[in-house]
Amino acid sequence: MEVLSNLIIKQFFVFTMCMILVCIAGDLSANKGLEIAILSDKNNDGFIDSSSTMTMNLINKRGDVVTRKLRFKRLEVPTDGDKSIAIFESPRDVKGVAILSYAHKVEADDQWLYLPALKRVKRIASKNKSGPFLGSEFSFEDFSFQEVEKYEYLYIDEEIYLNNPCYVIERKPLDPYSGYTKQLVWIDKENYLVQKIHHFDRKSFHLKTQLFKDYRKYDGFFWQPHEIEMINHQNGKKSILIFDDVKLKSGFTDRDFSQNSLKRSR
Amino acid sequence: MPKSPLMICILFSQLIVGEIIGELSFDNRYFFNAGLQEQKKNHTSFSFSPEIFKDDSNKIFHFKAKLRKDSEDSGRDLNDIQELYLINILEDKEIKLGVSKEFWGVTETSHRVDIINQTDFTEGFDGEEKLGQPMIKISLERQWGLLDIYTLLGFRERNFSGNKGRLRLPLSINEKGPLYSSSSKNKRADFAIRWSNYYDDFDIAISHFSGTSREPRFLPSANKINELVPIYEVIDQTGLEIQYLLDGLAIKGEVISRSGQGERFSAATYGFEYTQVGVLQTRIDLGWVVEFNHDDRLESSPFVLGTRFSFNDIYDSQILSGFIVNDKSKELGFLLEASRRIGECCMLSLEGIYFDDTDEDNGQKKLFQAFKDDDFLRAEFIYYL
Repeated sequence: MEVLSNLIIKQFFVFTMCMILVCIAGDLSANKGLEIAILSDKNNDGFIDSSSTMTMNLINKRGDVVTRKLRFKRLEVPTDGDKSIAIFESPRDVKGVAILSYAHKVEADDQWLYLPALKRVKRIASKNKSGPFLGSEFSFEDFSFQEVEKYEYLYIDEEIYLNNPCYVIERKPLDPYSGYTKQLVWIDKENYLVQKIHHFDRKSFHLKTQLFKDYRKYDGFFWQPHEIEMINHQNGKKSILIFDDVKLKSGFTDRDFSQNSLKRSR
Repeated sequence: MPKSPLMICILFSQLIVGEIIGELSFDNRYFFNAGLQEQKKNHTSFSFSPEIFKDDSNKIFHFKAKLRKDSEDSGRDLNDIQELYLINILEDKEIKLGVSKEFWGVTETSHRVDIINQTDFTEGFDGEEKLGQPMIKISLERQWGLLDIYTLLGFRERNFSGNKGRLRLPLSINEKGPLYSSSSKNKRADFAIRWSNYYDDFDIAISHFSGTSREPRFLPSANKINELVPIYEVIDQTGLEIQYLLDGLAIKGEVISRSGQGERFSAATYGFEYTQVGVLQTRIDLGWVVEFNHDDRLESSPFVLGTRFSFNDIYDSQILSGFIVNDKSKELGFLLEASRRIGECCMLSLEGIYFDDTDEDNGQKKLFQAFKDDDFLRAEFIYYL
C-alpha cells in the first residue's frame, strides 16, 4: 500500500517537474521569438523618412500580367507606429487616389482615403484590413507596418533558407480583425531581415506565401527589399511588388502626412 | 475657358513642365417613355476634361476643365473651369488662389453641409457634380485642428436641364434672368470658415457660410406662364459634421441651420456605413449605407438604403444599388449601377433608374411626381488619355 502511494507520489512529482519544464521551455521560446522579432524590427530604426515608387504586377493562373503603379512616402514616428501615404498612379481611373495611414503600436491604425474626383477625404475603418489591396493578392494588412506589439510570438526552429541560416518564428495577430490566425516568419541570422512569411487564414489553412527578395542597404543601415512576391495557394494567383527610386531623409514633416496634405496629392 | 492673355500664358508655361492628362467620356441615356413635356427618348452626350498638374513641393499648380455637348439639350452643354489654382505652402499656412472645388461633409447619399461650390444638376441628381468656384483660401494646420478660411469671389448660378432635357421640373426655369437679394448680384464676395479635427475615432467639423445661397428658391415669372425664376438670396448657414468609428461601423451625421430664405430652418442627414469584408468566403466586399433625412421645409423624410458589392478583381468591378423611400407618400426610387475597368485605359458603367409611378393619391406631396415617366438606362464609357 505504502509502496503504491509512494509510486503515485513519485509519478506525480515527476509529472509536475515535467510540466514546469515544459512551461519554462514554452516561456523561453516565446521570449526568444519576441527577441528575434524585436531585433528584426529595430533594424531600420533611425531612417527618419523614406520614399519610393512601387510597381505591382498582378499575375493570374495563366500567367497574364496587369500592372499598377504607386508612389509611397513614410515618416518615422519614434514613439508610435509610422505615418505613410500611398498615392495611386495607375490604372488611370484611380490616379490620384491616396491612402493615409497612421500606424499604432497596439490600438487600430487610423486611415483616410482621398477621392480626387469628389475632392473628398474620407476616414475609413482600418478594421476592414483583411480585404485585397487594389485587386492584388496583398491585403491591406500586408501593406501596413507590422508593429512588434501587435503579435504574440513563439520560437520554432532554425532552418537554412536559400543558403541563409534563418530563425523560424511563429506570430499570432492579437487583433481579432486580422485575416490571419498565424504566420510563420523566416528571419535570417546575419542581418535579421524577414525572408519569407507563410500566412495561415482563419481556418488555419496555409493561404499565402510572401517572399522578400533583393535586399539593398541604404545609408549604411537601412535595408529595403526591392521585390516582394505574394503567392496565393488557394487561387493560384500571385502579385509581385517592385520598389524603385528608394530615397531616405527627404526632409518630410508631419505636415506632409496630414489629412490636408492628401488634398494636395493630386 | 481661359479668357485673359495672362491665363493663357500661365497655361502654356505649365504645358511645358506639368503633367498633362485627360478624360473623354461618352454617355447615352435611354428613357423608356417620352417625357412629360414630349422630350425625346434617347439622349447622348460627350465630354472632355483636360487636366494639368504640377507639384513643386511647396508650390502646386492644377488646371482642369470640363467641356460637355449634349445631343438634345443645350442646357446640358458645359464649358467650365473646374480647377485653375496655385497653392503656396508657407511656413505656418497654406494659401490657395484661383478656381477650385472644395468638399465638406461625411454622409454618402446627401450632402447638407457642402456649400462652397455650385452644383451641376444637369450631370446627375446626386448633387455631387460641381462647378469651379473662384476663391482665396487660407489653411492653418495646428495642434487644435485644421482651419480653412475662404473668400469666395463671384457667384456661379445653378445649372438646370433645358426644356428639351431630362430630368427636368414640369415648369421651365428662366436661367437667363435670375434674381438676387444682394445689390451686387453675382459679384458679391462671400465668406466661409471651417474648423475640423479628430480625436481617436471621432471626427468633427464646424463650419459657417455667409453669402449667396447656392440653392435658389423659385418665383413664378411675371412675364411668362409656366416659368419659374430662380432667386438667389443672401444666407447664413452653420453646419456640423460628426463621425464616430465603432470598430468597422461608421456612425455619421451632418446638420445645418440656415437663415435668409424666409424662416430659419434646419436640415440633417444621418446614418451608418458598414463594410463586410470577404462575404461568403469570397474576396467580395459588401458595403452597406443606411441614411435618414430631415428637412424642416419638407413634409417627408426620405430614407435611403445603399449597397455596394466590390469584387476586388483586377477590373475593379462593382455593383451599386440604392433604394430611396419617401416615408409619407410611400414613393420609391431605385438605382442599380454596375461598373468595371476595360483594359488599362477605360471604364464602363451601366446604370438603371426606376421611379415608382404610383398614381395613388394619398394626399401627400410627391417627390418624384415630375420624374414619373423618366425611368432610364444609362451607359457611360470613359477613355483616359
